[in-house]
Amino acid sequence: MSIASILDIGKSGITAQRLALEVTSQNVSNVNTPGYSRQTTVFASGTVTMERGFPLGNGVQVAEIQRAYDDFLQLQLKNESSTNGNATTLLAAMNRAEQLFNEFTADGLGKSLQDFFKAWQDLSVNPQGKPERQAVLARAEQLVDQFQRVNGYLNDIRTEANQSLEGITSDVNDQLRQIATLNSQIQQVEIQGSRANELRDKRDLLVRQLAENVGITYLEQTDGMLNISLDLGQPLVLGKDAATLSLQPDPLNGGLYKVLTTPPGGTGAIDITSIVGGADNSQGEMGGALQVRDTLVTGFIADLDELAFTLATQVNAVHSAGFGLTGSTGLDFFTAPAAMAGYSGMGGIGVNITNTNDIAAADVDPAVGGTGNNRNSTAIASIYDLVLPMSSGSTNLEGFYNAIVGKVGVAVQNAERSQSLSEGVIRQLESLRESHAGVSLDEELANLIKYQKAYEGSARLITTAAEMMDTILGLVR
Amino acid sequence: MRVTQNTTANLVLNNLQTIRKRTEELEQQASTGYKVSKPSDDPVSAQQILRLKGLIAQGDQYDRNISNGVAWLSMGESAMSEMGNVLSRAKELTVQMANGTNNPNSLKAAQNEMMQLRSQMVLLGNTQLNGRYIFGGFKNDTPPFDPAGNFTGTDDDIMVEIDRGAFVPINYSGGDILRGGTPPGSTGTDIIGVFDNLIAALGAGDQAAIQAELPNLEASTAQVLSVRTDLGARMNRVEGARNVLEEMKYSLTKVLSDKRDVDFMQVVSDLSKQQTAYEAAVAASAKVSQISLLDYM
Repeated sequence: MSIASILDIGKSGITAQRLALEVTSQNVSNVNTPGYSRQTTVFASGTVTMERGFPLGNGVQVAEIQRAYDDFLQLQLKNESSTNGNATTLLAAMNRAEQLFNEFTADGLGKSLQDFFKAWQDLSVNPQGKPERQAVLARAEQLVDQFQRVNGYLNDIRTEANQSLEGITSDVNDQLRQIATLNSQIQQVEIQGSRANELRDKRDLLVRQLAENVGITYLEQTDGMLNISLDLGQPLVLGKDAATLSLQPDPLNGGLYKVLTTPPGGTGAIDITSIVGGADNSQGEMGGALQVRDTLVTGFIADLDELAFTLATQVNAVHSAGFGLTGSTGLDFFTAPAAMAGYSGMGGIGVNITNTNDIAAADVDPAVGGTGNNRNSTAIASIYDLVLPMSSGSTNLEGFYNAIVGKVGVAVQNAERSQSLSEGVIRQLESLRESHAGVSLDEELANLIKYQKAYEGSARLITTAAEMMDTILGLVR
Repeated sequence: MRVTQNTTANLVLNNLQTIRKRTEELEQQASTGYKVSKPSDDPVSAQQILRLKGLIAQGDQYDRNISNGVAWLSMGESAMSEMGNVLSRAKELTVQMANGTNNPNSLKAAQNEMMQLRSQMVLLGNTQLNGRYIFGGFKNDTPPFDPAGNFTGTDDDIMVEIDRGAFVPINYSGGDILRGGTPPGSTGTDIIGVFDNLIAALGAGDQAAIQAELPNLEASTAQVLSVRTDLGARMNRVEGARNVLEEMKYSLTKVLSDKRDVDFMQVVSDLSKQQTAYEAAVAASAKVSQISLLDYM
């Protein structure tokens, strides 16, 4: 019946426009929701039937509620998030390490080293002098304190990096669980035919947040579920199942954590410490923490140990060959190093001499050759200028220390550059994403007017059809 | 490209942050006066700056050593000068007594005076500086010459470093000066021995013996003079080194300042530029964010 079909068409118009209005209101209220992609209603005209010899559509239908989504942007954002998470972690740790080597606005280890050798120079001018001998001991104690302070602080940074793994792992576990739940929800909704837009938005956001923590790759299955795995292997999410990361102290690494995973839907823990941070521990906060803990700070500590070890060995060799004021000989000035590793920390370097008379300024027994003998103290003072074979090449002690400071500076600079670069890229990408999928209030408000007018138009249709129906009914009394 | 509210908001925020970051860097430079206040500001310059600071500090230490050395050397030189005077008087006396027209009384008087001059020489040999006997070698906490004139010190040189690897002895062996080496007379003139001979000769009234000692006295004077010249030369060398160190310190400080210190004019002008930029950015973003379609609906 033609008038009824007008009513039907009007009704389809009203319901369609009302749905469009609901979608618009959803967009408007979610303008500030993080990760939200705007949705558009796609209309299609209704099925075509023959109406008195003419093909005519049957009103309007909502074909689809489309979500603005760019696959490639999501992929790029995921990658950059990993890099950014890594760089931020590195930068924070390196900034703290840099404070220890602050020779420019304060007096650090380098100055203490210089002062120590200067005290020996003063002693060589007046070998019997009590104040000069006292100064040598005092400067030595200061130097030892500095070594232990820097070593202790660097070890603190390592411990903190280690502990930060706890927070990161629990974050990751949380995110994996949520993604797995969303996976099953999305699958259930989409089986019924339509797209689960909000759920997908949530999942995409979670994936980006996860990527900040660990480097990942993902693949979407045909049923809408997202399978995620680590960049270098292990699966993290398989359909509805999520892996669980855990930490265990590793006796081979001084009690620091190793990272384990229980595969999704499986049992038994696998050690993933070497792959969880990506290649060279360059991805994600996890990789950053591991790099700080196992490579960067460990490197600085090793250099410090080498400096302390070489200093002590050289000074001890000359000192034990010399004689103190009262004839003592064969005494080491610093505690004899057992090994290079850990020598600059507590329980390592220390001053072995307590009596100022035992400081060996003379190279021949003073009882025989005279107490004014300063040859040994001159020899020790000259160690400062001695070119020694160190791990970075042949250089003197001061040069080696300056090289360590340079290394720290370069590490911080690299981390800064890397971080500001990846931050810049992320900003660009987010701005692109916002431009593509973000909600523009102006646009939505204009749409609001559009759909409202269309709604009024369709309502008018119904009124007109009803009046026409009344007229027809009124024809037959 | 679509622009949404969030795009504008993010843009504003990011730009303001960038300006503030730059302002903070400039403020740090202005308040410390250094371009490089952390190793990461410029790692290569940082290492160079540390090296320069180390060199300057070393120069200061060598300067200290030189001050100490100069004190010893000048003390030694003045002792030599006194010894020269004593020897002149001794020579006068010897010439006088060698003439032969002397009675026993004047001989006795001359002998007494000679003995006095001898103990004067021994006293000069025991010259002290800050409680150290400068002619004693390494045994410098006890007098090197006993009253009899025997030398109990050592011949070692006390070396002091005045520049890297450059050592200068700041003392002279008392044995070499006054006794002509160990055993006495082996490497030079035994001055005390000459005095002993003169005292004996005067006591015995032996004119020939007195005459015989005259060339020895000449040799003694020459010996003392040569030591004095040597000490003088060393002082010159040390003072020269000090001048070189000062020059070097001056130029090193200049280079250090170039590398490390900030140009205040530049920093202040940059700061005011950033300030203007910040004000402009804030004003612009406030204007832009105010209007939207809602105002007109």
